[in-house]
Order: sequence, then C-alpha cells, then structure tokens
Amino acid sequence: MDELELLKKGWKKDDSSYPKLSYNEIYKMILKKSSSIVKWIFVISILEFVFWTLIAFAFKGNKKLQQFEKFDADYIIIPLTVLGYLVLAYFFYMFYKNYRTISVTDNAKVLMENILKTRRTVRHYVAFNLVFLVISTFAGMYIQFDQNQLIIEKAHLAAADGNLLLFYGRIILVTAIFLIGAIAILLFFYWLIYGILLKRLNRNYKELKKLEV
Amino acid sequence: MNKELEHSFVELLEEHQNIVHKVCRLYTNNQDAHNDLFQEITIQLWKAYPKFRGDSKFSTWMYRVGLNTAITLYRKSKRSINTYEIESFEFKIKAEEYDDTEEQQLKLLYQAVHQLNDIEKALVFLYLEDKDYREISDTLGISEVNARVKMNRVKTKLKTILNP
Repeated sequence: MDELELLKKGWKKDDSSYPKLSYNEIYKMILKKSSSIVKWIFVISILEFVFWTLIAFAFKGNKKLQQFEKFDADYIIIPLTVLGYLVLAYFFYMFYKNYRTISVTDNAKVLMENILKTRRTVRHYVAFNLVFLVISTFAGMYIQFDQNQLIIEKAHLAAADGNLLLFYGRIILVTAIFLIGAIAILLFFYWLIYGILLKRLNRNYKELKKLEV
Repeated sequence: MNKELEHSFVELLEEHQNIVHKVCRLYTNNQDAHNDLFQEITIQLWKAYPKFRGDSKFSTWMYRVGLNTAITLYRKSKRSINTYEIESFEFKIKAEEYDDTEEQQLKLLYQAVHQLNDIEKALVFLYLEDKDYREISDTLGISEVNARVKMNRVKTKLKTILNP
C-alpha cells in the first residue's frame, strides 16, 4: 500500500485519541497574548522608528552640535531636518499601511509576502537613516571647515607647512572610520535580530517560490 | 456583544478543536510545544474571528488560520527546536486495533513526516484531511499543477526517508 494511504488510515483511526480541551480551558486561551512573529515585527519596527527619532533629538540637544546654530548654515540644516521628518512620516505611513494588510486568513504565500513587505518598509527606512547619517556628518564637516575659525586657523597653519591635504585627510579618515564602525555595529544587531526572527519565514517563502519555477 | 462573540467562538472551537490538535501534531515534537502552538493558533483564530463571515465553513477557515500560524507566525520555543521526542509524545494508540507490523510502520511514517519541511508537512496534512488539490492550492497560494507535482515529490521523499 502507498505510504500516504497507510498514514491516512492511521490518521483517521487516531481521530478520537486527541486531547479534549474544555470550554473553560479554551476560553482562558483567548484571553492570553499572542507571541507571533508579526507582533514581534510590529514591536521591533516601532522601536526602530523611536530609536531613529531619538537619535535625531539627541543630535539636536548635543552641546557641540549647538555651535552650528552660530554658523550661517541654515541653508543646509533646515532642508536636511525637513527632509528627515518628511521621510519619517512617509515611511511610518507605509509601514502602518502594510502592517494593516497582514491577515492570517490570506493564503500562506500572500501572508508571507505581506509580512516581508512590511519588514522591507522598515528596512528601507533604516537604510535611508544610515545614508542620512553619512550625508549629515559630511555636511557638518563641510560647515566646520567653512566656518569654524579654529579649524580655519589650523588649516592655514597646515597650509603654510604644505600639509593641507594631510590635515583634511586625517579628519575625514577619522570620521569615516567612526561612521563605518557605528554602521557596522548597527547592521550586526540588525542581522542578528531579523536573522533569528525571519529565518523560518524566509525559508518557507523560498520553498513556496521554488514551486513556481 | 463581545461576550456573545466570545461564547460562539469558544463553542465552535471546542467542537472543532481536533483540527488544531492535528496541526500541532505534525508541527511539534513534544507536549509543551504542542500546547504552545495550540495556544497561538487559538489566539490567531480568535483575533480573526470577527471578520469570519461564514461564507466558508468554520472548519475550512480553521485549516487556513491553523496552517498559517504553524508555517509563518509561530515562533518555535527553544525547547521544541531540534528535539525529537516523538516516541514519548505519540498519542496513545489502542494496541488492539493494530497488528504489530502496521503499528510499527505507522510509527516510522510519522517519524518520516516529522523530517519533512514546513511546506511539505502542510501538503501532507491537507492530503490526510481529504482536501482536494483546489483547496490545497488555495490554502498555500500555489497553482493546482504545482501542488500535484509537489505532492508526488513528497511521496518520493517519504519513500527515500523510509528506505534509505
């Protein structure tokens, strides 16, 4: 006999051997909280939005960075700030919209696609923030080079010694290393959290996609 | 209103709870994991219940939510990962109903099914529940042809696991 037919025969015979939960036991279950990956993704995504918004505020409150207000740099800072908020609003709206489309009653493939789409929105937001961080840092550096008297004087001294390129090069290199380090740490955590959380989903989604080829 | 909804839901689930137990049986390896998954499926069913319109049967709707939870939403708890405690977990099968060889064969078959991946298990589950290929393809979001092809591959894979 075919293996599956044999299994089916046994499967049907086992119908009466399953535990029988009472009305009250089931009732207690519906009062409990879900621990599904969708819930985790929602919580982590919200934390990411909060994290990046806090980072923006932390930069604003930073004393060293407040010196920028003395500089004539509004033409750079204001557009960057406005852009940051617009992008946050856009991504948050997209995230919420995608999150709302996740429905456990869709078929398996659509459900997986909707979860991955929601994740992708937040991933794009984080990618944007990393690029934004790099751009802001270099914009800040440009303003310093252009308007910070202390740096301008040092640059003049270096120029007199013929070391101007070395002077600028050193500052840019240190900043770049700092940025790369910070981004690497962030990406590592990112990879760790989502690697664990979405491993199974990604594997199953690939398996379903494979069937279409 | 909410109380009425709760009441009708719990009554329906109490009546059809075997479907959830069966999903748990295929996707978990021990009693704790079985209970965890049962709990999560129940929560997902309850969350989706207000939108259940009754245009499909409650049981059909349960298959979809149950499998989606098992395949996609459920986070395996640590204790259920890579532990194979099938032997101790097998539901008590009344010995007199089976002869030794058939019982032994069934045991091996269940162990083989546990080695399949999540999607393959879903196919086997729906097949064991007498679902036709249209319903299988609807539940998983693949075409009927692909469901058939995959089912044949699963049969071959089971044979290979059983006769290496």
